[in-house]
Parts: sequence; C-alpha cells; structure tokens
Amino acid sequence: MALLELDGLPFHVQRLGPQDGGPAAATAVLLHGLLTDSLASFYFTLAPALAASGVEVLMYDQRGHGRSGRPPTGYRLEQFVDDAGVLLDRLEMTGPVHLVGNSFGGTVAFGLAARRPAQVRSILVIESEPASGAWAAKLDGILRQAETELVKRSTLAWVAAKRGAHTARLARSAGRLLATTSLARDIPASRLPSEAELRTIRCPVLAVYGSESDLADQAAWLDELLPDCRSTFVPGREHSVLIEAPDTVRELALSWLREHGTELRGPAARREGSVR
Amino acid sequence: MTSSAPTEDLHPPTEQEVLAEITAMLAAVLDEYGLDEAEVTMESRFTEDLDLESIDLVTLAGRLQQRWGERVNFAEFLAGLELDEIIGLTVGRLVGHVVDRLRTAGRS
Repeated sequence: MALLELDGLPFHVQRLGPQDGGPAAATAVLLHGLLTDSLASFYFTLAPALAASGVEVLMYDQRGHGRSGRPPTGYRLEQFVDDAGVLLDRLEMTGPVHLVGNSFGGTVAFGLAARRPAQVRSILVIESEPASGAWAAKLDGILRQAETELVKRSTLAWVAAKRGAHTARLARSAGRLLATTSLARDIPASRLPSEAELRTIRCPVLAVYGSESDLADQAAWLDELLPDCRSTFVPGREHSVLIEAPDTVRELALSWLREHGTELRGPAARREGSVR
Repeated sequence: MTSSAPTEDLHPPTEQEVLAEITAMLAAVLDEYGLDEAEVTMESRFTEDLDLESIDLVTLAGRLQQRWGERVNFAEFLAGLELDEIIGLTVGRLVGHVVDRLRTAGRS
C-alpha cells in the first residue's frame, strides 16, 4: 500500500499506469465522496477501464477516509482542495489532468479547477455540485443527522436490511469518522466560492446525474452558470450512480476523454464510433 | 517476501498453502480491527463473514500483487467482476484463482 506523507498526514495513494505499458494518453485524477466513500469505489469500477485504455490513473483516499490519515480536525472543503493540489505537486503532475469526482469529490474538483485553471483539462462529475450557501446548508443537515444516526445499532440494522451488509459496514465506518473528528462541523463552515469565482472554471465540464436524484434539479442552473458545462442523466438511478451503474459511467468517461482529444487504446479504441 | 520462491516454482502451492497465505494477508490487512484466523475458510465471504470493506480489498490486492506479482494478475481477475460480485466474493474463489494461475505459470 502506497502511503505518501503530505504536510505530516499520510495519504493512501494508488496509481495505475496504462495497462499496455505505453505512454499515457492522458492523466485522470479520481476524487471520491464523503463518509462512506473511498478510492475503492473507483478502483473496482472506472479505474481498470481507464488504465486498459492507455490512461494514467491517480486515486487517493481523501483525508479521514479509507486508509489515509484521520486528523481530529481540519475538514473544511478548502483543506480537501489543498490536499489535491499538494498531491499533484508532489507527484510532479504539472500537465493538465482530467478530474473525475464522485459526489463530494466533484465539489473538490470544482474547487481545484477554480484555484488552478491551467492544471485542469476537463471535469467529469457524478452526482456533484460546486460549493455554495445552499450546498453548505444541505450538508449541515445531512451530517448532523448522520452523526446521531450512524452510531445507533437500529439504524445500522435498517441499512443492512435495506442496502446489504457491505453498505452497513461502510455506514458504521462513517459513524466512527463523524464521532472522532470535527468533519460534521467543518464542512458547513467551508469557505464558499462566489458565483463569479465559479464562472472562472472555463474547462469543459460533464455533469452526470441519476435521473431520480434530488440533485438532478440543479442541472439547468449549473449548465447556465459555467461557461462550458452540459448534463447527462442516467435513467432510473438516484445518488449511487457510480456504484450502481458502473458500465454507464465507464462508457461516459471514455467517450468524454475521447471527445477531449485523448487517443484511447485497447478495447475502448476498438469500440470507437459505436459510442456517441 | 521472496524467500520461498525457489521451492514454490518447483511445486505450485496447494489450495491449503494458498489459503494459509491469504489468511495471513487478511490478518495483516485487518490488524486494526483484528481477525480470528480460525474463522477463515474457503466458504468465508470477505464482506458478510470477515467484515472487510471495499478499501480492505484494495489493500489485499496490493499484498497479492507484492507476493505473486503478474503471475496472479489480480487486476485482471477483478476487472471481470462487478462491484457486487467483488463484495460477495468468497475466500475460496480467490484461492482457486491464485492456485490456477500459479499452476499455469509453473507449466509455462
């Protein structure tokens, strides 16, 4: 397991090179979501398909999550964005990279693109939104509820019955994260970008939503706000699009990279033209 | 890490030997929560029975890679599975994959 220390905190980093051993056709940085998420959500879904297509993949566990360090405090959005920037610097990934963010990982991606526009080639977000006052208020509610619920046996039993043992296992870990850190109070206290700041994100953005997700309602607002953003909806899905519809996400990501000048190799290259 | 490699190349490890090695890897992966090694059998499911979460399987993948490298090709094995199947995976299925690949590698 690769642990990289950044400003005294260990980060669990996984890199997959192009599977054929050739030069990288592009670099993709995959950013996972809050609480129950980790780089595993990408490691078992999108990452192998990208590597098989000649793309260099960087994944890491965000602070407090997965196998990365869990400081008691320091969970404002800008600190997650700092981590992404420091990691890119440390790994000397100076060339423009494609960011892929799941849920809160997309919020981090928008933050990084606003801060380092020259370093971001494109953004693909799955069930995400940029930080805003509405976002902070919503997260505050969700995190307060999670903090009290996820430590209860009754809640975890309900999750196990409804969503299976693995989701219940993740929920229990999330309960521990909330109980031992200031994350629930830090996220709503994040520095929020103004709409003017968000409009400086000029790179192409693809926003993927589950058609049944509450978040899908914001698609028109985001398309309008950002200079180069379009939305796509995965039918019948709610928030867990990456985990529940990995094939769809793989196809969307590969055609997105191809659209933005990546010469894919391997099976994806042979399918070229069939995915439009 | 590689001290047992010479004999292993002459005699591909048995199912029991691979199970013992993977059990030891699981104990290392789970050391912060603890694992009762006696409970690991071929039928154990990683999630339901051994209480692994998906990030633990990433760590296990790293250890498999370190131990057996390209011969076992865990990435390729996983790439053929959906996340649901990976989560429902039994120890026996992984042991079977490792034994098969080492046997094939030994012949080539």
